[in-house]
Amino acid sequence: MEEQLSAVLVEHFGDTDAVVVENLMALPGGFSRETFAFDAVVTRGEATTKMPMILRKDPPPSVALLQTSRLGEHNLIEALRANTGIPVSQSHCAVMDPTIFGEQAMIIERMPGNSQTSDLFNDGPDAGQVDDVVRHLCEVMVELHEASTEAIDPNGELRDPRGVGVDPSTWDSYMDTTLEYYINTYPEMEFDPLLLTVLDSFLWLRRNKPRPCPLGVVHGDFNPANFLYRDGEVSALIDWENSRIGDPREDLGWMVLMDVLADTQVMAHPVDEGGFLAYYNKLRGLDITPEELGYFTLFGTANIAVPVNSALARRTRKEQTEFLHLYMIQSSAPALMSFLSLVGYPGVPA
Amino acid sequence: MITSPTIDDLLEGVILSLDADIMPALDQPKAQATAQMIQSLLQGIRQLLPNYEAALTQEHNEMNAALRDAAAALAGVDGPEADRMRHRADELGSEPDLPAPPDKEALRLAHRLRSEAVRDCLYDLDVLQRDGVTAADESLTVLRAMLTPHYLSYMATFPVAGGMLGRG
Repeated sequence: MEEQLSAVLVEHFGDTDAVVVENLMALPGGFSRETFAFDAVVTRGEATTKMPMILRKDPPPSVALLQTSRLGEHNLIEALRANTGIPVSQSHCAVMDPTIFGEQAMIIERMPGNSQTSDLFNDGPDAGQVDDVVRHLCEVMVELHEASTEAIDPNGELRDPRGVGVDPSTWDSYMDTTLEYYINTYPEMEFDPLLLTVLDSFLWLRRNKPRPCPLGVVHGDFNPANFLYRDGEVSALIDWENSRIGDPREDLGWMVLMDVLADTQVMAHPVDEGGFLAYYNKLRGLDITPEELGYFTLFGTANIAVPVNSALARRTRKEQTEFLHLYMIQSSAPALMSFLSLVGYPGVPA
Repeated sequence: MITSPTIDDLLEGVILSLDADIMPALDQPKAQATAQMIQSLLQGIRQLLPNYEAALTQEHNEMNAALRDAAAALAGVDGPEADRMRHRADELGSEPDLPAPPDKEALRLAHRLRSEAVRDCLYDLDVLQRDGVTAADESLTVLRAMLTPHYLSYMATFPVAGGMLGRG
């Protein structure tokens, strides 16, 4: 892989004498992409520069949790860098020819900062930074949600990135077509009838749409594992593959659930502002209610649940043997309880 | 309770992952041997599980009968040893035989059929609710009230430790 990386980067830079790849190492973490850290030692004449980088590579389609485009992610990241102050890695290039790395891939800058965000919580070593980091995280999300969709998505790649018929021309059409996609896809994702509460929640969402809200660019996987921090600030918001035009409340709702699953407390901070939702509301003046947040916890979770559970269903049918997918059947189970609680099942503890 | 993947599917998945993900990364012969022992033990559990309760029940009932027959064979024999034999036959050996447990696969399929029926009710109730049939609200509540303890039981018997491991 070192040789392929070197060849791709030489071609990408165009003006280098040599690129030597060092310290290539597979990283744990992302559930949807294979991730490798490496250093590119770039030589131009007498000058040598060491550039920390990440290779994000698609898994084989049969085991992919999300089918997304590396070129789309590359374009988005570069648009964010050009048009906002949101801390993101530079994306050097998307490598769409699958013969080079085996699947589509992209090479991005490896940002400084701690990716072990669990260190911020539960009396972890960086618990003293948590309020400052989460305050900044909230400000970053506000900037993303208020960013111009025309500037960030000039070609409309984020309007329906999965090509499933979502129509974001108005808030109502976005909600209606998205819910139709969820409900129609349910049979593909039902690896066990135990998931019927997910179906129940999809139908409940359709019957109980809340008030409209301006659509915007949503991260799509805003969770406690998808940012890096250092010195009390977010140093990078990462993993943009599921980004799209959507209702910003989806990002907040997904974070609520992932906070539970990951045993973190992002939504409880910054404490002096009354928590993440209160601070977000203060910055945006939207007055999102806890009830709306609950609705979008389900709605935002559905966006991930559909493709992820479809992958788990393929594993259950033994179309592939990815162990991670078996583990996720267990690790995602608490989400079912959140569904029960939010939809209002009798007797469910709060 | 979840019926697919089956418990056997889960155990098989762990065995396969040890082969594919763990053993290639093990440098130490002792660790490799231990991984193979884990695979062997898990394979044994896979074979033990389907028959475990049926075998226990059959053996329980056969021991009952044997305790009675062994004591009967000592008819006319006196002494404390023979008395204890007859005592065991009269006590433990005379308890009723246990019923055969249901076939696990048949039980799983029957459970699945009913789960699917409940799921299909959700589709029908959704149509009724959107048509304004208020009785559908109560009907849905009946189903949800039945389901809640099932999910609570599932969470209690298949717990998650450590959150989303490997995600920072």
